[in-house]
Amino acid sequence: MVQEKKYAFYLGCIMPNRYPAIEKSTRYVMEKIGYELLDMERAGCCPAPGVLRSFDKEDWMVAAARNICIAEKMDVDLLTVCNGCFGTLQEVNTQLHENEELRERVNLKLKLLGDYEFKGTIEVKHVAALLSIDIGPTEIQEHLVRRVNATTAIHYGCHFLKPSQVRQIDSPEDPTILEDFVEALGIKSLNFKQKYTCCGAGGGIKAAYADTSMTILSEKMKHISDVNPDFILDVCPFCHLQFESGQDWLKKNHDINYDIPVFHLSQITAYCMGMEERYMGLQYQNNGKKYELIPIEVQTND
Amino acid sequence: MTINDFLNEKKKYVELSDFDSHFFDDIANRSKILTCIQCGTCTASCESGRWTALKTRIIIRKLILGDLSVLKDPDIWLCTTCYNCYERCPRDVKPTDVIIDLRNYASKLGNIHPVHRKVVDFLKATGHAVPINDKIKQMRKELDMEEIPPTLYKFKDEENSELTKYAKELFNLVPPKDEKEEVKDKGKKV
Repeated sequence: MVQEKKYAFYLGCIMPNRYPAIEKSTRYVMEKIGYELLDMERAGCCPAPGVLRSFDKEDWMVAAARNICIAEKMDVDLLTVCNGCFGTLQEVNTQLHENEELRERVNLKLKLLGDYEFKGTIEVKHVAALLSIDIGPTEIQEHLVRRVNATTAIHYGCHFLKPSQVRQIDSPEDPTILEDFVEALGIKSLNFKQKYTCCGAGGGIKAAYADTSMTILSEKMKHISDVNPDFILDVCPFCHLQFESGQDWLKKNHDINYDIPVFHLSQITAYCMGMEERYMGLQYQNNGKKYELIPIEVQTND
Repeated sequence: MTINDFLNEKKKYVELSDFDSHFFDDIANRSKILTCIQCGTCTASCESGRWTALKTRIIIRKLILGDLSVLKDPDIWLCTTCYNCYERCPRDVKPTDVIIDLRNYASKLGNIHPVHRKVVDFLKATGHAVPINDKIKQMRKELDMEEIPPTLYKFKDEENSELTKYAKELFNLVPPKDEKEEVKDKGKKV
């Protein structure tokens, strides 16, 4: 049994190296709901399930197993904040758990990287699943100091729910967990066309075929702007980067200025739990800088 | 018809090198592509194919027929790995996994986009596909956070550092392919 109420905090790449405010917010939220986050020293890239898995699946698996081993040594489950990291780590953890032959092969190569051996003792958890399912919309209310009067366009992303037979979190065609959760924060989730489509960043497309990636995002942005949300809500720093850089690209190349702020679930949840607004980091983002959150103070009985 | 019968049958038409037969064996075993009924649900669900020439059904079809040109087809690199086809395929072919396998084999032939090679360079140099920079370090300070997160990069200067081992053992890509080599493959199509 792993230690309870503790997680190995897996950072990945884009969160600590592009959107540190998401990291700050996640740390705040986890502390408020009574979890301790432990640093994973010497962790590396997950590695990315689209781009790096495409070159060499076995090396991808070894590098992922190495990250999982760091958490195993700490005897705690692993927490991730990104769909890509979750996609890689949860899938590799599952596959190595189930397939002994694969595990032996990966363990052989792991020895070359340091004192590592995959044992299969921990679980990989996405912060959005932890908040919206394990804590849930009812219990989260005990931790709120304010709600937000706002509307939002929720973006689940792909690797959080799919492949559903591996993830086993919610329906990939009609999920509801995030809608239920943000309602508890006072936020109204808007329906929009093609809500569950991809942001266009994954699979190595954003790096190598930027125009294709941006075309996919542009259609998504059009449908989002049609319903005029106060902000876009994602659960993945890579989708987050795509919504930010995509809006910049539209401004630059097509003179379309949506200027819609983009928040990760951790950012908005932390704010509702009382984190100072400046730590949400909107001032560092390129879109929706002028947006002002409308807080509704939560009445307490004591 | 078993997979082996199928591969033997195919050998009549295509002279397979060790690499090629291993390739077909591997793909066919892992992903049940031979059960594909060409219904086109994958193509209809494809988020990238809506805008690009990527036609997943045709890639699977070519693969079944032993057409090795799929390994040089840039379209296999247009998949966003959104998994719609994987979710919806009525034969559980798992096209996303097939495309990843194809990319693995394409990579073994050296068919890798120069920008993707740079991503691997970043990974080997910093342990991150997206490395930190001075602007972000400053941002982290302003947010009252540790300036550099405790990942491989932070410990890169340790003696015999893990990042050195990591860079040495993982993702050693095949160099870009020489153009002359490509001509040899042409006779292999069915």
